[in-house]
Amino acid sequence: MSAVRVVMLLAGKDLRIEARGRQTLGLVVVLGILIEVVLALGLGQASSGLRATAILWVTYLFGGVLCFEKTMAVERQHGAMAGLLLAPVDRGLIYLGKLCANLALLGALAAVVTPVGIVFFGFDLSAAPGAFAAVIGLSLVGYAAVGTLFSAVTSASRLQGGLLAMVVFPLSLPLVITSTQVLAGVMDRGEALDMSGLGVIAVFDVIFLTASWSVFELVVEP
Amino acid sequence: MGGTRRIAVAGYWVLSLAALAGAAWLAAYYAPVDADMGVIQKVFYFHLPAALCMFGACGLVFVAGVGYLWQREGWWDDLSHASARVAVLLSSVVLLTGMIWGKQAWGTWWTWSPRLTFSLVLWLLYVAYLVLRASIGSEQKRAVVCAVYGIVAFLDVPLVYLSTKLMPDIHPESIELERPMWVTLGAWMAAVTLLSAGLVAARYRVARLERAHEEWALRTGMGGPA
Repeated sequence: MSAVRVVMLLAGKDLRIEARGRQTLGLVVVLGILIEVVLALGLGQASSGLRATAILWVTYLFGGVLCFEKTMAVERQHGAMAGLLLAPVDRGLIYLGKLCANLALLGALAAVVTPVGIVFFGFDLSAAPGAFAAVIGLSLVGYAAVGTLFSAVTSASRLQGGLLAMVVFPLSLPLVITSTQVLAGVMDRGEALDMSGLGVIAVFDVIFLTASWSVFELVVEP
Repeated sequence: MGGTRRIAVAGYWVLSLAALAGAAWLAAYYAPVDADMGVIQKVFYFHLPAALCMFGACGLVFVAGVGYLWQREGWWDDLSHASARVAVLLSSVVLLTGMIWGKQAWGTWWTWSPRLTFSLVLWLLYVAYLVLRASIGSEQKRAVVCAVYGIVAFLDVPLVYLSTKLMPDIHPESIELERPMWVTLGAWMAAVTLLSAGLVAARYRVARLERAHEEWALRTGMGGPA
């Protein structure tokens, strides 16, 4: 079986579970909108690019943590993880499968909370929708890379939810800082997309995808 | 602990504290008072060495993580734990002294400048290490997870640095010091390095003793781990 097919099968399994139960997505989307409402009540129409990106990041970060947790939690029931580890496939591929499932969920979350944010806060993306999509899309890949790795770790620990956020948020801060600064330049100051900023995000993605893929086996071993 | 070892350890601490006292004397009486900043400028002698030693401690967490994953020996994990604690302590010192300096230089305790943000993120990264450590019960699992986290966190450091470079900056890019200031800075560098290394070694020793105690308790069935 080819590696791509294994990854598709594993991600498909998680997404099928989600499609049947619809537990995670409903939860994170509503949570994301709630966060935006609370922030909008305090900040009003905050239309600067810097604020827009930061506010959206709050929803992605919290929603993302819940997605990572849920996709890993299904493996903790009925010894599903043991079965998964017994499968005759490279364990790095199990990581990639989980990553794809998480990315799909994050993408769905972003597809809802981003337009809601635009309506609530009056963000103007018309200046550079392509730059916005590229920066946020690349950043979410890096965030999911770190989140997927550590969700495998923290699902077995005592603190669970709070702990995953505690571990993943600081690690993902370079993504938040870079994307807010780059998008502030594009949207507030009308500059061209800063390729060095995009480069930092791309390097983050490459480093953490490689590192997580190679150590995933170590953290899931029973 | 054997007699010779005890004397060596005591000697080390006496030397470290003497170095610290000497450095404090230099900062107080030898180094001139800065024309713009006044006396507050002197926290800088503690700030910069603490920052450099903090990077050393973070690097040690990384090395210990790689060592553990490679050899699976418990002492690597103890070293990683000890270094992470000292890294958090030193980065707290960096943040606090930086804030005192900033209050005098810029009139505000905190501003989102690149280096302040960088220090804060670094502090958060290694505090998260300690929280992660405390929350995993199984010894084996804890060691593996902390090793992985120590490696990943260290890989994150240059990325945090690059990302904060994109922010608007008010931090001094280079520093101009007179000769007595360099001497004082050198003395503080030596003192802080000695103290940091001593603290890592002391915490490492405590972790080794804790591990030995747990193993003894498991073997004899007497007294649970503390």
